[in-house]
Amino acid sequence: MAYDILLTIMTMVFALMVVFSKKTVVAAFSLLMTLLSIAMIYFQLGTVFLAAIQVLVNAGAIAILFVFVMMLINLEQFQNNRERSKSKLIISILTTLIILGVFSLIINNNIEVLSAVNISDNSMKTLFDKLFTEYYLPFEMATVLLLAALVACIVITGSEKGIKQEQEKLQENLNE
Amino acid sequence: MLEAIIEIIIKTAVIMAFPLGALPLIIHVERRGAAFIQKRVGPNRVGPFGLLQPLADVAKFMFKEEVHPSHVRPFFYSAAPLIALVVALLPLACIPIMGPFQFFDRTVYPEVFRSDMGIFFAFAASALGSYGILLAGWASNNKYTMLGALRACAQMVSYELSLSTAVVAMIFIFGTNDIHLMVDWQTGYWFGFIPKWGVFVQPVAAMLFLVGIFAESNRLPFDLAEGESEIVAGYHLEYSSMKFAIFFMAEYVHMIALSALFIIMFFGGYSVLPGLDLIPLSNPFILPLLQVTSLTIKIALMIWFFVWVRWTFPRFRYDQLMNLGWERLLPLGIVNLIITVLFVYFRNQ
Repeated sequence: MAYDILLTIMTMVFALMVVFSKKTVVAAFSLLMTLLSIAMIYFQLGTVFLAAIQVLVNAGAIAILFVFVMMLINLEQFQNNRERSKSKLIISILTTLIILGVFSLIINNNIEVLSAVNISDNSMKTLFDKLFTEYYLPFEMATVLLLAALVACIVITGSEKGIKQEQEKLQENLNE
Repeated sequence: MLEAIIEIIIKTAVIMAFPLGALPLIIHVERRGAAFIQKRVGPNRVGPFGLLQPLADVAKFMFKEEVHPSHVRPFFYSAAPLIALVVALLPLACIPIMGPFQFFDRTVYPEVFRSDMGIFFAFAASALGSYGILLAGWASNNKYTMLGALRACAQMVSYELSLSTAVVAMIFIFGTNDIHLMVDWQTGYWFGFIPKWGVFVQPVAAMLFLVGIFAESNRLPFDLAEGESEIVAGYHLEYSSMKFAIFFMAEYVHMIALSALFIIMFFGGYSVLPGLDLIPLSNPFILPLLQVTSLTIKIALMIWFFVWVRWTFPRFRYDQLMNLGWERLLPLGIVNLIITVLFVYFRNQ
């Protein structure tokens, strides 16, 4: 029990550090630590396969690309990019509402829906039997969600106006 | 409860003493092997055949002054060697050095962390190996170290893919992901004299895995991370004395762990070597002993192979390395995987 609480606190602290730390590389390593602590939670729940895949794919491949990119391009010159705007305010209010909604769901104890798979059954066969039959639709929905997030990222960061702004900033920095 | 704790402590001690104790010997073999291949004499002054030279080196490393450059990022600079060593030791936790045996009234499994998913855990832990190097290169705050770290990291991530295809193909062939069952599958002989090793079933996967090991452990011909002639010494340029020695140890431990995984997949793991199995099993402890001996001999041969390759092939150019990884080995691995899956599917029909 104490171990569970410790792991949860660890995950939360590192997740907050991803958002709030000033140095980008520290944020990237906090992301890595968050992923590793989530893997440890899986491990604690007895699903060794999920834990190993979490480390192998997320920590071993995806987080390393983040760290790689952050070391390669010097992001520290874009640090003072925290001006306030109306759209940011609306987005933060919406996010808060969504988080409150998720919390109210958890408090109302409606979370049995999420734990329909018996996680103590550790074998790969049962896991993938469930995944590719009963839970095929949610699984595919999750991939669609990831695709939507990917497109959103490109739209937000890759808009022509945004690129121009970044280029101007870079030019200014170079001129200095 | 107490019994379980004592068991885990003993297992951890054994599994850590095995590679760390073998390290001085491996370094000696590396030097004398280099000298033998290049027709030199090599270190032969300290002790018989120069065997005490590694110990003298350890003493030197211990007493050497530690230079701590002022331009580094202190926390990450000190953390990097430790992360490298711990991550290198982690995969050993699920590698069995012998089969399960009866100790009085209980069955003892030799690995510290017993799970049928052990092989995934080992590869997951080995995938984290690039973080120590990356962190060292970045924390040293030096362009050469940065370049070395980026090279090492890109190379490890690229070759992990083709290595993984080889592993998945072997898991399909064995039909299990339990290391003990894999070794059971490989025990015995075909036609009475060819050992039932995975390398005879999947030579292509064995080749991919072998190349992958060289790239993962940053050994020649893939040691672009160090590349003395271009980037001085790569990621450990700013490290001195014991911190440098820890990087050195991490590299060798990583090598041992990956060799052990290679042997489990393709050379029968701890299954008794042909010849040694003629010894009669008069005592229940003889079989585990023979298994440990077999595994040690196999790992020693692998290490000799590493040394042999190191002093035979020149270093690759960086674009050649990337082309080999992404354009040759990865497609080869995927084709091999598809053929294996079809073969296993139709055999089971």
